[in-house]
Amino acid sequence: MKISFNLLKKYIDLPDNLTPEQIAYDLTMRTVEVEDVINTADKFRNIVVGEIKEVRKHPNADALTICMVDCGLDEIKQIVCGGTNLYEGHKVCVSMPGANVVWHGEGEPVPIKETKLRGEKSFGMICAAAEVYLNDYYGDPDERKIVDFTEAGTICEVGQNVSELIGMDDTILEIDNKSLSNRPDLWGHYGIARELAAIYKLPFKEAPDDLPKGLPEYPVQIDAPDQCHRYSATKIENVYVKESPDWMKSLITNSGMRPINAIVDITNYVMLATGQPMHAFDSSHVEGNKIIVRSAEEGETLLLLDDMDLNLTKGDLVICDTVEPMGLAGIKGGKKDSVLSDTTDIILEVASFAATGIRKTTKRFNEKTDSSIRYEKGIDTQRVDLGVSLACTLFKEIYPECKITAFGEDYPYKTKKNKIDITQDFLDVRLGTSISTKDIEDILTRLGYLVDYNDGTYHCTAPTWRSTGDVTIKDDILGDIARLIGYEYFKAKPLPVNFEHAVNQSHYDFIRSVKEYLSFRCGFYEVFTYPWVEDRFIKAAKMDFENAVKLATPPSPETSYLRTSLIPGMLDIIDKNSHYFDKFSIFEVAQVFEKGEYKPSIKDESLPVHRNLLTGIIAGEEVKEIFFKVKGIIEALPVYCQCEPLEFYSETQPLWSDSKVWLNISSEGKRVGDIGLISLGTLNDSGIKNIKAAAFELDMDILKPYPSRTNKFKHLPQYPLVEQDLSIVVDETITWSQIRESLKYMVKELKFVEEYRGEQIPEGKKSVMLSLKIGNDDSTMTSKQIEKKMNGIIKILKNKCRAELR
Amino acid sequence: MLEKLDQICQSGLDSISNADNLNNLEAVRKDITGKKSSLQEVLKSLGSLEPDLRKSVGMKANEIKNIFADKIKERETEIVKTASFIDGEIDLTLPGIEVSEGSLHPITQMSYDLNDAFRSLGFEIYSEDDISSEKFAFDSLNFPVDHPARQSMDTYWIDGTENKSGTERLCLRPHLTGGSVRYLLEHGAPARFVYPGRVYRNESTDARHERAFFQYEALIVDKDISFSSGRVMIEAILEKVFGRKVKTRMREGFFPFTEPGYEIDMECLVCGGTGCKVCNQTGWIEVMPGGVIHPNVLKSANLDPEIWTGFYTNIGLDRLVMMRYEIDDVRLFHSGDLRFFKQFK
Repeated sequence: MKISFNLLKKYIDLPDNLTPEQIAYDLTMRTVEVEDVINTADKFRNIVVGEIKEVRKHPNADALTICMVDCGLDEIKQIVCGGTNLYEGHKVCVSMPGANVVWHGEGEPVPIKETKLRGEKSFGMICAAAEVYLNDYYGDPDERKIVDFTEAGTICEVGQNVSELIGMDDTILEIDNKSLSNRPDLWGHYGIARELAAIYKLPFKEAPDDLPKGLPEYPVQIDAPDQCHRYSATKIENVYVKESPDWMKSLITNSGMRPINAIVDITNYVMLATGQPMHAFDSSHVEGNKIIVRSAEEGETLLLLDDMDLNLTKGDLVICDTVEPMGLAGIKGGKKDSVLSDTTDIILEVASFAATGIRKTTKRFNEKTDSSIRYEKGIDTQRVDLGVSLACTLFKEIYPECKITAFGEDYPYKTKKNKIDITQDFLDVRLGTSISTKDIEDILTRLGYLVDYNDGTYHCTAPTWRSTGDVTIKDDILGDIARLIGYEYFKAKPLPVNFEHAVNQSHYDFIRSVKEYLSFRCGFYEVFTYPWVEDRFIKAAKMDFENAVKLATPPSPETSYLRTSLIPGMLDIIDKNSHYFDKFSIFEVAQVFEKGEYKPSIKDESLPVHRNLLTGIIAGEEVKEIFFKVKGIIEALPVYCQCEPLEFYSETQPLWSDSKVWLNISSEGKRVGDIGLISLGTLNDSGIKNIKAAAFELDMDILKPYPSRTNKFKHLPQYPLVEQDLSIVVDETITWSQIRESLKYMVKELKFVEEYRGEQIPEGKKSVMLSLKIGNDDSTMTSKQIEKKMNGIIKILKNKCRAELR
Repeated sequence: MLEKLDQICQSGLDSISNADNLNNLEAVRKDITGKKSSLQEVLKSLGSLEPDLRKSVGMKANEIKNIFADKIKERETEIVKTASFIDGEIDLTLPGIEVSEGSLHPITQMSYDLNDAFRSLGFEIYSEDDISSEKFAFDSLNFPVDHPARQSMDTYWIDGTENKSGTERLCLRPHLTGGSVRYLLEHGAPARFVYPGRVYRNESTDARHERAFFQYEALIVDKDISFSSGRVMIEAILEKVFGRKVKTRMREGFFPFTEPGYEIDMECLVCGGTGCKVCNQTGWIEVMPGGVIHPNVLKSANLDPEIWTGFYTNIGLDRLVMMRYEIDDVRLFHSGDLRFFKQFK
């Protein structure tokens, strides 16, 4: 919302030493957020009134004229101009060096410089209206015509800045509408002025009462009192469509609307000034000379200005004559509900429509107007008086010949003032400081409350303009007191410290430790993906949609399902990064969702099943290498991250995995996840080329972290261990785990070094190289003992694994 | 013979001082003191000399042997002092070998920094699930029935529930605040806890707007505390996160679940408060809405507002992280693009 200082000044006298910036700051701190302070005169800098002293032909150009112009400077200046209406003695609009003008009324503003035109010096520019933002005031269809103040009858002085001629010597406060959403009283200059008066302890100039009195009654009937609390109709005769005076045009422009014609402008001006929307329409359109406010019938239509029919449904509030709907209350006028060029008599509608109905209808027609955004905040019914009064005053001023001939209203519901009690004790504790009774009474009175203090309790009556939902409980009053004092003036009180319990949350620590393990030790980057996934990646991962939760209004039709696994989202990321990197490791910890019953808080509420999953991907070229890297990471995770051990087994192939290369992971006998190579089919369907990937997925909710570090210290070996390397040749079918198992009791340590197939190794066999450590517990091994032990080991490998030494 | 010894001595000393590495020196040592050296030859031939000469030559030869030993030792020390493992040239401007890669998401980093700060003040961590219901997302938080955020336009409702209401109308949570009521229902009061997480809004995206973004909310519930304590907490947290005191200001704000509500701005760290593009020339950045818990919210958490009070603060994590690294596009956080993530170690 835009607040014009010139309009504000009609309701409050602001002292000269109070700068707009200070006011913006104080409003921001205490009431609403001011986003910007704009000086409207800025764009008229160096655009002044000049008087043409002499006109002569340009020696080198037929279309140009040389003018000698008095711009209020020390000397008369020569200006070359292409205008067709240049007369000696006339006052015109001159842009001097430093001004910014819009060339021929189009494009970005361009700075004016002293220059030479076809060999003749030109100090500045004599402008047409569109070039200097004056189209609404001095516009002419012929763009070669310059602004002629003398012709227009404008009273002005040579050298005067043109912004002053049209009321553009104004300052505008841009207020963030969101910060106004709970303050319906501030949606007009009147309310802002009242708030400033309270902040600065200045007198507030209340609008005078100019309600029509003693006139014949205009028939008004409200049939839907829950949706329309008050409706007034004022008949004004002998008006016609004309332009508004400049002062009104500029105030309307500065408040963010466009001038249209004086009748419409008056209604808009009243709304901008008071926050009370209003509407005018030709009284001859009202058939039966009666206005009925009612709910629309199912199937009824409203004829619009463009002759289209708007379909109405029950519940839409309509303004009708005795025959049919004329307009959609507070939102949209119909064809009948309008002012036309031949209008002479009008009905002024000033009404109070209920916020909820307006909100519903606005939503249904997806139509927000300046009126509807005000109505939907909830306006007190008393404000109708303010609107009618100001409108009548303005009509009398702008149309001295007009006659107000009838007035009528129906007023079924009056906004009641909310009464709230608040105690001194409550205020002292919650404010954290003690404010005197006198100060509290003063603050609340300035804000329009009636306060009656009695024995520690303030009996407060809120003003009607704060009683439409804004102020309802004592905390609201507390807030009013706190903000008027200013949050910056409250001494900050430190919080009491509580030593009663140590914060011990091993689950959160565990997740962090896993993330840090992967990032800092295993070289993974953490990524985030959206919870909704493109269907094609879900299909590529061979997952079905049956159990997936779906969004009613998804970001796009292809992303309507929420993930049941993190793998599909990862496929997307592998694809993207494969264009830039030939190997990379990424992981994500996030929630996945499945249809089901899950009651985290109360028994009435049942949510889909949530699981916290961890998924990691290593992408690269060598499939064995990336798979065993992933495996190594899972093997070491319990040790580095302090949780129950993880074991591998083969039972259920993950949907996305290679047919041979996958394992299930268990902890304490429960499946907690899988690892595997991502299958060729899944990669193909995801469009991933040139790169392979291995993945792991772990359910973080099942993994059981230890409450603290638990591994036990082992004594260092007292006698040195002997390290021996061994190369054996075994059948392809013999697994490492068989080899490991066979030597379990023979060696202190056993390490896999490498596998080899190829030359020198027969078909169907493989060579395995291992490194082992042996030793005695009570003495250093002698070479004889070593030999004996090694022979034993070789024998066992022979017996259990049919191994041959290589 | 003695002259010959002088010669041997001189040429031996020359060889020693010419040796420029330990291998050379060892070769020299063998050459001048070894079995086949001229010195040994002399010593071997001693027997064939006259006794007088034998004595003086013997003494002199041994003397030379000792001199050689000393000089070799001396030379060895000198060589070790200036020795290098590198033969020839080495280009020390070559880059070092890269350390292993990997990093936490910048949002996680900030979140953990905040966790550490809040933990040190005795706060617990809590996390609510991503899917919630209208009951917790709106009803419990004092949102009016026809609040625009409840319209399907702004919130991601779950298919099949969008036309229901209350506990049966499910959504991806539009903010974290609903989680506060869940925590309080479970743990009661007094309480102090933080609940970081991702929230979802149905809106079009651009460099400053995302459909999924991160918030970090903190809540204290206690008896007889004043809203001004909220400011102390926030200042303490910002100081921990940015490593120095950060100026803040508290001003009027409105949220359905607070009364009074306020906005907390911090001085713009890009310009130091003098005004720049980032802060729209104001010198202040709006970082945290907050406020005193609305009595209706306490009631939905089964707490008596006559006894308990407290305050919220909600930190926009994306914004804070964007500020930390001067990131200009919020969509990068969900891009999965490693060209972006590799910048944060």
